[in-house]
Amino acid sequence: MSKYLKLFSTALVGTSLLAMTACATTGKDASGTATPSAATSTPQSSPNKKAKIRVMTITTDEARNNIMEKFIKPNIEAALPDVEVEFEPGGGGGDFVNKMKTYNASGDLPDVWYGDSTLAPPIMEAGNLLDLTPYVTKDHFIDKYSVPDALKAKDGKVYALSSGSDTYFTPVIYYHVDMFEKAGVQIPKTFDELVKAAQTLKSKGFVPISTPGKGGWSTTVFLFQNMVQIGDPQAMADLVTNKTDFNNPSIKAGLARVEQLAKSGALPEGVANLDYGPAKELFTSKKAAMYMMMTWELPDLAKDPTVDFFPFPAASDKYDSAKVAQFWGAPLNGYSVNAKSKNVEQAVKVAEFLAMADAKYFESTGAPVALKTGNPTGELQPLMKKFLDWYNAVPTKIASYSINAQDAKVAAEFATLGQNLLTGQYTSDQFVKDFDKTWKENTWFK
Amino acid sequence: MNRYFGNRLAVFVFAFPALLLFTAFVIYPLFPEMMISLQNHDGFKSEGFVGLANYMDVLNSQTFWQANKNTLLVVALSIFVGLPISLMLALLMDAQTPSIRRFFKAAAVFPAVLSVTVVAQMWIAFYEPTWGLFNEILRTVGLGHLAKQWLTDKDTALISVAVALFWQYIGLNALLFYTGIKSIPKTYYEAALIDGAGYVKASIKITIPLLQDVVKYVLIISTLGSMALYAHVRIMTMGGPGDASRTIVYQMYYTAFERSEFGKGTATAMLFIIECLIISFLINRFVAREKIEI
Repeated sequence: MSKYLKLFSTALVGTSLLAMTACATTGKDASGTATPSAATSTPQSSPNKKAKIRVMTITTDEARNNIMEKFIKPNIEAALPDVEVEFEPGGGGGDFVNKMKTYNASGDLPDVWYGDSTLAPPIMEAGNLLDLTPYVTKDHFIDKYSVPDALKAKDGKVYALSSGSDTYFTPVIYYHVDMFEKAGVQIPKTFDELVKAAQTLKSKGFVPISTPGKGGWSTTVFLFQNMVQIGDPQAMADLVTNKTDFNNPSIKAGLARVEQLAKSGALPEGVANLDYGPAKELFTSKKAAMYMMMTWELPDLAKDPTVDFFPFPAASDKYDSAKVAQFWGAPLNGYSVNAKSKNVEQAVKVAEFLAMADAKYFESTGAPVALKTGNPTGELQPLMKKFLDWYNAVPTKIASYSINAQDAKVAAEFATLGQNLLTGQYTSDQFVKDFDKTWKENTWFK
Repeated sequence: MNRYFGNRLAVFVFAFPALLLFTAFVIYPLFPEMMISLQNHDGFKSEGFVGLANYMDVLNSQTFWQANKNTLLVVALSIFVGLPISLMLALLMDAQTPSIRRFFKAAAVFPAVLSVTVVAQMWIAFYEPTWGLFNEILRTVGLGHLAKQWLTDKDTALISVAVALFWQYIGLNALLFYTGIKSIPKTYYEAALIDGAGYVKASIKITIPLLQDVVKYVLIISTLGSMALYAHVRIMTMGGPGDASRTIVYQMYYTAFERSEFGKGTATAMLFIIECLIISFLINRFVAREKIEI
């Protein structure tokens, strides 16, 4: 019996080893013919073979999905016949960034991706972010931008191509005109009026103001910044340029306004865990009368004729909504290319095509773009016209704190504590106390 | 002698492929991880060797201990609330007619085969403060004053997530207990019945003692499963509000991926591995040590 067992075991080991050998990368296909491995493949595509380009973009907001389905997928093959593009859904927000970090660490970055200023610096430091300057200069793509210098990073090089619509993104407060009328509420001119209007709307059974708070999103992206700058715009400008810190009384006052909004019931119950989609749905389904959100949602919201908007109302004489606004965008926002791509030139062409697709989409919605598409400008939607008339006339535009002042560690802590503020169980004083040390260790400005 | 070595060889040969895979995919990855935990690493590149500084920073971090406290609370609830409920469900299942039992078996497995994302989203809707079913039930039965913002209240967020976790796996554990119950010979119960023991007494004196191997198995998987709680937290609360529902695995993710401190994140992971090993050892050492022959 033991003899048979040994024989059987030996056979089993042999079979296992054979199977493992077969599974290992031997460079042979099923017929035993040698095939080139990834390490030995030629980097450039042959004339008859399309270059494969992997692209990862944000897939969580409606604008991005519209661009993909209506402007990119139907046109890319005709525009770039020598390229085969594989699109990888990247998700959005932190998920997108984390995916990119993992790919960067494992040396598996896509050829092209939609990056931003928080993602770009470490990829650049790792030597994986391509300097696009020689490429976009040689093929004159840069000449299609109305302000080419806006694309240049601190070192004067271009690392990302965008439609240039980002600089037109700013937060506003959307509202349903009919709900305001029904509740007998006027457009608030001051922060106190906003809180009062919210209380009136709540007493009439409406959710006063919707905004996504999960993961501290709105606090990070615009709420904190606007609650500070409606009281003291200079303090906010100073914070974004590292000339002041969170102990500044005006910054503390801004945080206290976020706390006040949460505690006064102006925001929905459970706002600290309210996701982007449900927050928008609260407004579009007319459960919420107001919606604090960036203007990238304006083209979609403008489809409802009862929707209008107003800028954040003043909390002091230092602020005038006709004179100060936050602007989104940074030179590192846009389509970037992997410096180690096997098909760098084709990847740059893909990035240019994608930036142009973005521009065509935003232009089609009536939004302004800095990248000239060559298309005749259509008639603007009334709401978009109202927005542009206001925004273009604003002389002072303050860069966004969230993408222009924080390293990853600071951004993570700010988001965590920002979410805390929205619970109404956490004070602005506690925020400053908890955040101060992290802010002092901020490496963004170094 | 020959027979002794023959058996040893056979054991080795049969175990070898599994051992090889285990070493390659479980043991080996620990070494690069350990190396990263000794470096100042941001996930993109190493800024140099820092010795045990990451471990010291993690151990001095209040959030790490809060996450540990949260994790141990979930484990304790899993052991002292979840497992007894599973055992009671198994005993109830055993006492039913075959057709009802079939229904219970399917119902028990159903939540466990659902994706965590589905389960978490379902519970988010359940806990929704304005229109969620839970608060609606409370209002309907006149307990509206107990309605809360379950997932954003720092006192209830963790427990709410833990309930979602238990709901998903409580049925599966019950099924494991039930299979153990079915392996106990009926003659024991017949003898107990003759001696005048009722259902409850028979369950306490016969079923539970003879289930000790199953109890040990369920205890280990429930404990380690609860310790590794991450996905429910990530989807339902993102560890918030603040760090109120952050578990040790979420803390590891948060440190490595959100804060881009991979060195400290992997140090947290190494400490977590040590914790898991200690707990597994304690369960093996103190639970169901003596084999009861059926």
